[in-house]
Amino acid sequence: MEAVPSIERLSMRQAQSQRQQTRRSFFIIAAMTLFAFVWLVPIVWTLSLSFRPEHSITANLTLLLPLPFTAENYDFVFSSSRIPRWFVNSLIVASLRTFLQLMICSLAAYSFARVKFPFRQYIFYFVLIGLMVPGQATFIPVYLLFSNLKLLNSFPALILPGLASPFAVFLLVQFFKGIPIELEEAARLDGASRIGVYFRIFLPLSTPVLTALAIFTFLGTWNEYLWPLVAATDPDIMTITIGLNNLTATTYQANYGQTMAAAWTAGLPIVIFFFIFQKRIISGIQISSGIK
Amino acid sequence: MGSAKIANGRRYPLRLSKIERQDALVGFLFITPFIILYLIFNFVPILQGFWISLHNWDVIGTNIKFVGLRNYEILFGKDKLFWSSLEHTLFFAVLAGPGLIITGLALALMLNQRARGIGIFRTVFYMPNILSVTVVGLVFARVFAPGERGFVNAILDSLGVSMGSWFLDEASAMPTIAITKVWWSVGFNMLIFLAGLQDIPQALYDAAKVDGGGRWALFRHVTLPGLRRPMLFVIVLQAIASVQVFPLIDVLTGGGPAGSTRPLVMYLFERSFDYWQLGYGSAIAFVLFVFLFSISIFQLWFFSRGEVD
Repeated sequence: MEAVPSIERLSMRQAQSQRQQTRRSFFIIAAMTLFAFVWLVPIVWTLSLSFRPEHSITANLTLLLPLPFTAENYDFVFSSSRIPRWFVNSLIVASLRTFLQLMICSLAAYSFARVKFPFRQYIFYFVLIGLMVPGQATFIPVYLLFSNLKLLNSFPALILPGLASPFAVFLLVQFFKGIPIELEEAARLDGASRIGVYFRIFLPLSTPVLTALAIFTFLGTWNEYLWPLVAATDPDIMTITIGLNNLTATTYQANYGQTMAAAWTAGLPIVIFFFIFQKRIISGIQISSGIK
Repeated sequence: MGSAKIANGRRYPLRLSKIERQDALVGFLFITPFIILYLIFNFVPILQGFWISLHNWDVIGTNIKFVGLRNYEILFGKDKLFWSSLEHTLFFAVLAGPGLIITGLALALMLNQRARGIGIFRTVFYMPNILSVTVVGLVFARVFAPGERGFVNAILDSLGVSMGSWFLDEASAMPTIAITKVWWSVGFNMLIFLAGLQDIPQALYDAAKVDGGGRWALFRHVTLPGLRRPMLFVIVLQAIASVQVFPLIDVLTGGGPAGSTRPLVMYLFERSFDYWQLGYGSAIAFVLFVFLFSISIFQLWFFSRGEVD
């Protein structure tokens, strides 16, 4: 009979600690909600600015709702600036660079991971050195190269320099090495060529890591600032990140509604892109950091 | 496969079989596009940049004269702007670094629990990270606008607190840039820490609890040691990013007021693409390269050491 009260007491204590636990996580959630709200304020505020007429902004600056609602800022931005053009430029540059980078780097990675050729290890080390070379250190010679070729202010100038990514190769080699060799050998016995194995086994099996890389390259190119700043000075060839910078520094400075309409024309598609791919983006960061 | 093997199983390397020759050819063929682009855009420019830095290379292609290490002498010897830009860069690193790491860790610790809807917070805190620097710059130029046109000032004013000049004041410009930086990119660190936290085995916590460890003891003796790798990863990445800081400052202050926030890379850009002194610019670029290369080597050394023990 001794044991019964003690079990009761034990379960009581357990319930108590459970209650404590619940209360604690309630407080954490409440704190997080507040914190998240503060985090979102800059976005919510400026987004609603972009939908408000200027006189109303002057009257009530900190309003977080787009009231009274108007789309005239966007109308103005679309009709008076090259933003639609820059948008298309960014799409072209980011998509082409992403696609070509993945093709070139995955092909090289497959070779490094699975094909035996002389000096393979040394060439791979040589590629890894590139992980430690910052872009800013290479800009001047690369600028001179394009300048001599009369190719500044062209799509090749914006796309080519980012194609050989040592990081992409490194990550893909790690991944490809984990693909069972038996799969490859079986396909080879059935008469598949190396290129066939690459296309029909390695690419399909590495969809998660390829998707993560594609998203990062796309976002990184879309948001790239330094290189386009020097390589694309002609307004017709600018990407949206650079064009926007140019436009708002000169034209719309004083007008909050128009400036923010321009900013969110550039920013909103990326935010939507993020919400569509957020699971993959978040797991992609954790995959590629090597922590997980 | 078809090659002769010697007793210990190693390949006999002197003569390649047909398949091996084929493999060698295919192997080279597959890496060729990558290697060509890598040489042109990553590797050769480093050597070429060093070569250019040994010249007076003013205005593209016209006035080029070999001067040896003279650019470096001027740079280290008497260029006050170089040293001050280095100072600003370090100041930025010291302000933003701890903010990014402590806030990132705090967010990760709070989010590391099983509760419904917790994922939404992760999304919220990470989201600013995907915005381009231009958008962040435009948004925060208004959030911290001086006078009564700024959001923060309007709030402060309504609370009866005096307004600040933020980006326009030498004393507050860099801290305000650092705050913007934390808002923009702390979400990345949070994700790395979260991944690290989820990798710490629950058994370690249970064992420490049995030993009577309190909340702080758990954090101090289980969580922090368990986060060693992500912590190092974040610190090194942060150090590299801080040395390279430029776009954010460019869009927020343009290096002002009075050059008080001009970082190293901005100085490199001004010399190269405003004054067109490509030789001198290349010297700054090479110093930057050596700087970052050293950080990376340290990282490599540290992580490979961690692998062994």
